[in-house]
Amino acid sequence: MSPRGPGIALAGVGLSLGGTKVLADVSLAVRPGSIHAIVGPNGGGKSSLLRCLLGQMPHRGRIVLDWPGEAGRIAYVPQALQFDTGLPMTVRDFLATLSGERPAFLRPRPATLARIEAQLEHMGLAGKADRRMGALSGGERQRVLLAQALDPAPDLLILDEPMAALDEAGARMIEAVLQELRAQGVTVLWVEHDLAAVRRLADRVTALNRGVVFEGEARSVLTPERVLDLLSHRAAA
Amino acid sequence: MSFESFRLSVQALAEAGWLPSALSWGFAVNALLAGLIVGPMLGSLGTLVVVRRHAFFAEAVGHAALTGVAIGILAGEPYTAPYGALFGYCLIFAIGLDYLRGRTGLSADTLIGVFLSMSLALGASILLILAGRINVHILENVLFGSILTVNGVDLALLAAVGLVVIALTAVLYNRFMLSSFHPALALVRGLPVRRLDYLFVMLITVVTVASLKIVGAVLVGALLVIPAAAARIVARSLAGFWWLSIGIATFSTLAGILLPMQFDLPVPSGAAIILVAGSCFLICTALRALVPGLKGNVL
Repeated sequence: MSPRGPGIALAGVGLSLGGTKVLADVSLAVRPGSIHAIVGPNGGGKSSLLRCLLGQMPHRGRIVLDWPGEAGRIAYVPQALQFDTGLPMTVRDFLATLSGERPAFLRPRPATLARIEAQLEHMGLAGKADRRMGALSGGERQRVLLAQALDPAPDLLILDEPMAALDEAGARMIEAVLQELRAQGVTVLWVEHDLAAVRRLADRVTALNRGVVFEGEARSVLTPERVLDLLSHRAAA
Repeated sequence: MSFESFRLSVQALAEAGWLPSALSWGFAVNALLAGLIVGPMLGSLGTLVVVRRHAFFAEAVGHAALTGVAIGILAGEPYTAPYGALFGYCLIFAIGLDYLRGRTGLSADTLIGVFLSMSLALGASILLILAGRINVHILENVLFGSILTVNGVDLALLAAVGLVVIALTAVLYNRFMLSSFHPALALVRGLPVRRLDYLFVMLITVVTVASLKIVGAVLVGALLVIPAAAARIVARSLAGFWWLSIGIATFSTLAGILLPMQFDLPVPSGAAIILVAGSCFLICTALRALVPGLKGNVL
């Protein structure tokens, strides 16, 4: 199947915040329709790189999305959902708000309701539609965030540590979703700490510590020595 | 049916004992109609004010109106309706404040504190200049609201603002909600988060100015916040939150207008409206404490 997701090219991307260099001369290429993982120590600039890619941070250098045809849909799963946990917003409200069809204070259309129920079932959250978002566990919130990213179907999916709050069943579900997306030719850019999962699922990996430390095929390049060297050092000065 | 014949019909029904006797006065019917617009408008917008944490901002815009009135009178506008200066000054105040938020590194409450103090200082200075030209006690009407002064022009302005605000709020409700709930997610979904922010502060400003005659500058911010805060305490979904906020705001406005007239109480309409809304808030707080199902799962 020909990829429907874009290729991504970053050339000389740099970012400084408050006088601190967060990213320095980052260049990397993501192949269309592949799962590309980004690994590295805390403070190494992984999430900042995603935010540059999403156009949410002023950066130096060039970031180009090369779509196979017309620009498709970009979806994003943030690292954590920081919000007002006391807000009376149910899981159904949240997903209906994103659907944008009717104001959230009106009952969604039956078709929208059915789609939301199907999304939740797919994510293992059947029966949780009436739960307040603030009452969900971290893992459940992560699954809701993934549900919103998959509807409408994305062409480029950007994941920021989606497995951080998940239990084993949740992690298996994410793995299954990633494999489905690869089969559909979706490009996935995936920041992840779980290197075993990266080895199993990613096509390529880039190790980032403010700059690119190494990159290559995920199965071959993540040797114990390299990983130890990458993670045993604090973010580069 | 024309507005005049509608008002006469209501007055006739009140005189016949079918409606509260307070409505036998023409100005009371005007005030009631204004209340029927102000209540749903503030109740609806208030839910977004609470979610976006703009409560202090709404209060500040209300207080800025005092300076707007002073500038209007100084510029020669009629002291009962200096709408040009009111809208102009309050919009500059709100947009300027929102522009500097995020460009100064200061938190919103600090920036609002700075703007509010400067605005009140400017208003006080202009009022001192005006003290010899007008009876400054007329400003009490601006500060606390006075239903006696609501006329046809005010009603027409309020109706136009109400229509625009309710339509925009309904159409953009999901966008406002998502951009408050998670701005990064909203940006990825293609929402113009910053422009929505500017539009929202403009809506708050326009609503505040249009509601001045009924609720008053000091208290209009409170009516944007209290019904929504009360609804947020007991609601279990966004729909419940929105409808309950509108219900409490409308009930408070109508009760605050009618009760002082009905029982001959020497209380300004704005104060009466906020006292009713505040009572609703306390009732909701008690309900949450007493009814376990209303506590939700968040402590």
